[in-house]
Amino acid sequence: MAVSADIFLDLVSIVSLPVILAIFSYVNPIIAFTRKITAAAYWVEALIIGCIFWPILMGQTQGLVINENFRIDRLAVCFLLLTAFVFAAALTHADFLFGQEETDEHGTLKSVRLKTFYLCINLFFLSMCSIFVSNNLGCLWMSIEATTLSSAPLVYFERTKNALEATWKYLIVCSVGIALALLGTVFIFAASQHGHLEQGTLIITDLISQADKLDYPLMRFGFILCLLGYGTKAGIFPLHSWLPDAHSEAPAPASAILSGALLNGALFGIWRITQIIMGSHFHNQIMQILLGMGAITVLAAALFLIRQHGFKRMWAYSSIENVGIMLVAIGLGSAALFFLQAINHSIVKVALFLLSGNIVHAGGSKKLYNLHGILKSCPAWGCLLTLGLFAITGAPPFGTFLSKISILAVLADRGSWILIGILLFATSLAFMSLSVHVGRVLFGGAKTDFQAFKVFQTSVVPIILLCCSVILGLVIFPSYWSFIK
Amino acid sequence: MILDTFSILAISSAVLAILMLGTMYLRANLNFYALHTLAIAMETAWMAQKIHDEHLYWVAFFIALLKVVIIPRYLAWVIRNIDVESDSGSFIPAPVAMLTGIGMLGASYLLSVQLSSLWGDIDSRIGAMAAMSVFFTGVLLMLSRKIAIGQIIGFLVLENGIYLFALTQTHGMPLIIEMGLLLEVLVVVMIFGLVVFRIKKSFEHIDVSRLTNLRE
Repeated sequence: MAVSADIFLDLVSIVSLPVILAIFSYVNPIIAFTRKITAAAYWVEALIIGCIFWPILMGQTQGLVINENFRIDRLAVCFLLLTAFVFAAALTHADFLFGQEETDEHGTLKSVRLKTFYLCINLFFLSMCSIFVSNNLGCLWMSIEATTLSSAPLVYFERTKNALEATWKYLIVCSVGIALALLGTVFIFAASQHGHLEQGTLIITDLISQADKLDYPLMRFGFILCLLGYGTKAGIFPLHSWLPDAHSEAPAPASAILSGALLNGALFGIWRITQIIMGSHFHNQIMQILLGMGAITVLAAALFLIRQHGFKRMWAYSSIENVGIMLVAIGLGSAALFFLQAINHSIVKVALFLLSGNIVHAGGSKKLYNLHGILKSCPAWGCLLTLGLFAITGAPPFGTFLSKISILAVLADRGSWILIGILLFATSLAFMSLSVHVGRVLFGGAKTDFQAFKVFQTSVVPIILLCCSVILGLVIFPSYWSFIK
Repeated sequence: MILDTFSILAISSAVLAILMLGTMYLRANLNFYALHTLAIAMETAWMAQKIHDEHLYWVAFFIALLKVVIIPRYLAWVIRNIDVESDSGSFIPAPVAMLTGIGMLGASYLLSVQLSSLWGDIDSRIGAMAAMSVFFTGVLLMLSRKIAIGQIIGFLVLENGIYLFALTQTHGMPLIIEMGLLLEVLVVVMIFGLVVFRIKKSFEHIDVSRLTNLRE
């Protein structure tokens, strides 16, 4: 299938910016310039994506078929926009944070690291984009694997022993997990061959439209393997071991992107496979598995949260909790709920990771027991942290409240009271433990060696993000529920 | 039961993988890996001429080039540079691992009989058995090796198992996917190699079971 000229131009305009930036950031010797231009470019990128795909977003056109392997639908556009927004916010903050770090230490060694960081972050963005536009299970698999490879150097940014350990764990656990997803993909391909599709296909739209003809036992097996594989990447409970390590060892902007973008990407993979299952008659059993795994993940993360020592580790476990909730939304078969939870979690979690990055950098420790009295040392960060805490745990004016209560409402509508019980118990447990941990960081005597830096600049991005969260919580138009089909 | 070339190649790849469990010497492991992958490449070529599929010849060629020549060479180069000869020891001792591997081969046969309701012919059943056995062997290798290189080899065998499964059960996935997978594996191994260098430099050993700073 040939690509028509204007679609081609659209794609070039989206892809060219990260590609040029990737090359530029590696060649350009002046890092300060790279930092600023990359941050600005990602806001432009978000704008470009918004403008080009506006008709799809508004539902004026059904979707954009690029070729048989790549296709953009409404949900994909939503996630593309969210991803670009997360990257833009995190990189804007990175400009302030890395600028501070550069003045702290001697420059030369650092500049190599920053060059690699900016190179990889652009490649990471490209692989994230290709997850959302893939219409082929093979391409989807490759994109998700590519995100692992391009984000591993981000985790290793600090060049410490701990960072190296986290990177190794991240690579080996995710590679093996993703290998399972590959086996699952092979099974789904076999399911399409042993069904009534002679040649076999991996094209997602074909699989969805012919879901009834797929060989069910093979398809179910393939689904479970893909769930485990992509679930490893998303941090679903028994497979989450890499996630807290990578999130806590990566520099703050990278943790923010891992949590705010990468997890969504992996869950989007699960969503695509679920869409295929949903087309068949047998989906009930599979949806139960998704709901169950989601609930277990939320519960396990809440239990892990009780005893935490690392500041960023704590937010990583909170991400696992939210991944569980998103998995429940996927299990309900609702793209609208999935995206609502994803966007609310991403926005708040990015704000929290960036703030934590400030506090860790100023306080000189990642350990919770070494951090105290933030409200006294830097009231602005303290207040934002408090707001962020309420936002992430789902307190009312914020968007997370809306997404969580909607999921609970849908569950109540179906009469799944046990699930509601587990979710309510786990989220309240998470709220209590997070409040205790954050409370210790906020109150108490001010640390003597705490050096708050650039208070205004480093608060801007979290303020914007938290405002977005409030807006999402207060203003949701009723047509949203029919918005994403 | 008369075995044809297809079955012999499939089974020999499984047996070569099991042999890897028996030795702790990394060089020997890499040589076995190269031979084991060569069997898989030949299996691919054989499949190509059996079902008259042009693109599988290309896949066979690239497997032979990347996985039989480049990847073992590269890993051998890494081993030479970090000066490690053999695995320091393992969670599961070598003889036990090998026996378990043989047991797994049997288990794979039973599993493939279970699945035979889906695949009628004997060829794909033996293929499924070999593929599952290679997959389990990869898992065992990862469990029984302590050092980073051993884990990488385990991962590669596991990946070969998945490929063999795809080849024998679906007669090859679309060409673009196969090529993408090969490229991906190459990049993964390159990055793993670089990380191993870093681990050696920072920790002065590559025993990943001793990387426990972050454990809670």
